[in-house]
Amino acid sequence: MLLLQLILNGLQVGAIYALTAAGFSLIFGSTKIFHFAHGATFTIAAYLFHYALTNLGLHWTLGVAMAAGGAVLFGILLDRFMYAPIQRHEGSFFTVFVASFGIGIVVENVIGMVFGRSFISVSTSLSRSVELLPDLYVSPLVGLAVLTSLVCFVAVHMFLMHTHAGMALRALSENTELVKTFGLSPRRLSAYAFALGSVLVVPAAIFTASSSGLNPAVGHHVMLISLAATIVGGIGSIRGAAFAGLLIGMVENVALWQVGTQWSEALTFAVLFFFIIFRPSGFFGRAAVS
Amino acid sequence: MTAYILNLVVLISIYAILSTTLNFIIGYAGIFSLAHAVFFGIGAYTSAFVAMNLTPSFFVAIPIAMVLAALTSLALALPALRVRGEYFVAASLGLQMLAVTLFSEWKGFTGGIGGVIGIPPVEIFGFALVKPWHFLILTLVCLALVIAIIQRLVHTSFGRSLKSIRDSESAALAAGKNITVIKTLSVVLSSSLTALAGGLYAFYMAFINVESFMLATSVLVMAMVIIGGTGTILGPIVGAALLMLLPGALSYLSFLPQTEIGSIQQIIYGSAMVLLMIYRPGGIVSPKTRGEAA
Amino acid sequence: MNMQNTAYDTTAAQPVTEQETLLKVRNLQMDFGGLKAIQDVSMDLRAGIVTTLVGPNGAGKTTLFNMITGHLKPTAGEVEWLGDSLLGKPPWKIARQGIARTFQDLRLFTHMTVEENILTVMEQGGWLWQSGGMSAKTARQERVASILERTGLKDKARVRAIDLAYAERKFLCMARIMATDSRLWLLDEPASGLDPNSYGLFLELLRSEVANGITVCIIEHNLDIVVNISDRIAFLDQGRLLADGLPDEILNNPELAAIYFGER
Ligand SMILES: Nc1ncnc2c1ncn2[C@@H]1O[C@H](COP(=O)(O)OP(=O)(O)OP(=O)(O)O)[C@@H](O)[C@H]1O
Ligand SMILES: [Mg+2]
Repeated sequence: MLLLQLILNGLQVGAIYALTAAGFSLIFGSTKIFHFAHGATFTIAAYLFHYALTNLGLHWTLGVAMAAGGAVLFGILLDRFMYAPIQRHEGSFFTVFVASFGIGIVVENVIGMVFGRSFISVSTSLSRSVELLPDLYVSPLVGLAVLTSLVCFVAVHMFLMHTHAGMALRALSENTELVKTFGLSPRRLSAYAFALGSVLVVPAAIFTASSSGLNPAVGHHVMLISLAATIVGGIGSIRGAAFAGLLIGMVENVALWQVGTQWSEALTFAVLFFFIIFRPSGFFGRAAVS
Repeated sequence: MTAYILNLVVLISIYAILSTTLNFIIGYAGIFSLAHAVFFGIGAYTSAFVAMNLTPSFFVAIPIAMVLAALTSLALALPALRVRGEYFVAASLGLQMLAVTLFSEWKGFTGGIGGVIGIPPVEIFGFALVKPWHFLILTLVCLALVIAIIQRLVHTSFGRSLKSIRDSESAALAAGKNITVIKTLSVVLSSSLTALAGGLYAFYMAFINVESFMLATSVLVMAMVIIGGTGTILGPIVGAALLMLLPGALSYLSFLPQTEIGSIQQIIYGSAMVLLMIYRPGGIVSPKTRGEAA
Repeated sequence: MNMQNTAYDTTAAQPVTEQETLLKVRNLQMDFGGLKAIQDVSMDLRAGIVTTLVGPNGAGKTTLFNMITGHLKPTAGEVEWLGDSLLGKPPWKIARQGIARTFQDLRLFTHMTVEENILTVMEQGGWLWQSGGMSAKTARQERVASILERTGLKDKARVRAIDLAYAERKFLCMARIMATDSRLWLLDEPASGLDPNSYGLFLELLRSEVANGITVCIIEHNLDIVVNISDRIAFLDQGRLLADGLPDEILNNPELAAIYFGER
């Protein structure tokens, strides 16, 4: 029963990891920006949701809207006012990474000062677990998380496959030259990528806030997961990142059968390292280009 | 007052060793490690362990610590550097997080969360360094040595190979450079020198725990390197001094909430990193802007 | 180092078609996602001659170089160097077998001085130090000096690559490849954008290296260069090798001219 319980938990965690990782992978794949502040986007969304529900006492739908608005705004502002100026004069991996990292530190500490550094969690009526079978406690969140992820993935898929902007984004990740044929400016596309990539962290942020809870430093954990999933899935493959996120969530939880929770990051590292050694191009990786 | 200054200088020197060794891989090899504090920690715990269980001799404890850090970094770098630069960032972040767990759990070696207490003073040829200024001299000598070694390396063919890889990996490959081996070697060298700083720290504090070796330390050292200026000798030292003096300076500003000094400090250097990357990517100590898309 | 070169002087007298084949490319194919950048290309590079690769933008010329030097792994096909397969070898091993290249976007070691750019190319073996000790070091320095002299970069030895003027950067690319000791040079548009003066110097340099026995494959758009230096011309369009032959045959072929000029 315990194992089944862990698998269910793994499914929930994996589903939201998949979304977060897909967001990072989408941004990285199409803009080539190593968006380390993706973790900060997550933190902002989660705390906005927390603020809306706990401090303002708003309905959860408004909370979700605030979280989504905040995440998208943060992503687009960073793209416009941080990455764009950097890329105008150089845009090497070094400068982009450092700036992104720096903004992550700022966000973590500002949130820490405003909301405190201790753990928070938002309790909603859905957080409470019900005993589905003897000894098997399932909170409705599990189903909801999986469902939301599926809906998001279908939506992203439709967007990328069937809209003009979506096709241009895909083209951007495959081949910069091709984009010109779509008649969209790379800057505009970059804003789309950031908006879409950032909004994908929102479900994850909300589910984390309502189930396991979080603190201002959660961004690093989110980044580790996103990076690991992007590599394990194969750089440039959104589908790969999603599968890898699911895999990592599963491994982390199912392993609780044998080891304590403090080892969950160690397990992520193990999965990542395994792939780096044995299959560096990831699940769906194409030939690595140097 | 002198005790305060002495303490500050020793700590700045130890951090200057950390930033100088990190600069060696960031500024000359173009490798971004978020695991610098791990090798600092390995150096500290190993030295403490040797000092308490074997001998507090500098020339025994430090080399053992350096070898251990070198081996760990080899295990990380060899696979992770075979592939793209992003992989190393990810793998080092993972290692940093794993190490914090290990440092807090492995009670026999690290004392767990509580840490290691009562590390004996370090001995050099049987002479125990108990006075703070003894230690100051030792630390300054070590810093000078580290700077000299790195300065020397940078001007050899090895240093040129590193810089060529930093500037254009594909062109370095086309020139027949085995970039995996060269990069790995640079990480191993850097990590072993980092362990020296760890050993000094453990002996100086006489007490260590996991708090000093968390991601925040890796981030702080990276900020020192970047704010000071990558790829220069002076930059990381200036950066270390600036960021170590910052908390003290901030505590003079009485209008700031004193309990939040730590956060304010991090916000300052976080913003500094962002602004520098937009306006002056070479850092404070830089003749001109650095870097270009490879 | 130069023994190799003198050994090949003799081959220059032989008729072009009978020379030893250094590099064989067979049925090479490269797909990028849906884009077929190279399709079924087979060609030979023969020792001691200049083969020019021409074709409109996006024809796949640079991609072909990238596959030869191991910077890209072909989707299918075979690359043989002196009878041995190069497939699956990392670029640095291929480089050490004697295949050197320049890059269309230069890829200089931007923050190193001109001198260091050249020196580091000679220091490919060894990790922490170079073999041969002091005498080898002096020899390297002399060689750097001579390369600097021949490429007209003598006054710029201590200048960082990023601070060079355009033409000087192009010559630094040539200087770097001269420092390699390779038998085969793959040059990706080395003369594009040069002013007439530098262009003359470039031609002179290339001719003297070819006379020394270097085998060259050059990607070039400038018809004047093509006419001037080619012993053979290969014509690539949309990933396919349309023609491969003597300059006269290619240049006088009206169909190729239509493709080439029609697209530009
Ligand atoms: N790494 C890559 N990933 C995806 N597409 C690529 C890659 N490299 C090249 N291409 C595409 O392959 C095609 C051929 O490119 P290539 O650079 O080989 O052309 P070229 O003949 O060198 O053209 P030019 O004269 O402009 O240099 C182009 O459509 C290009 O966009
Ligand atoms: Mg080209």
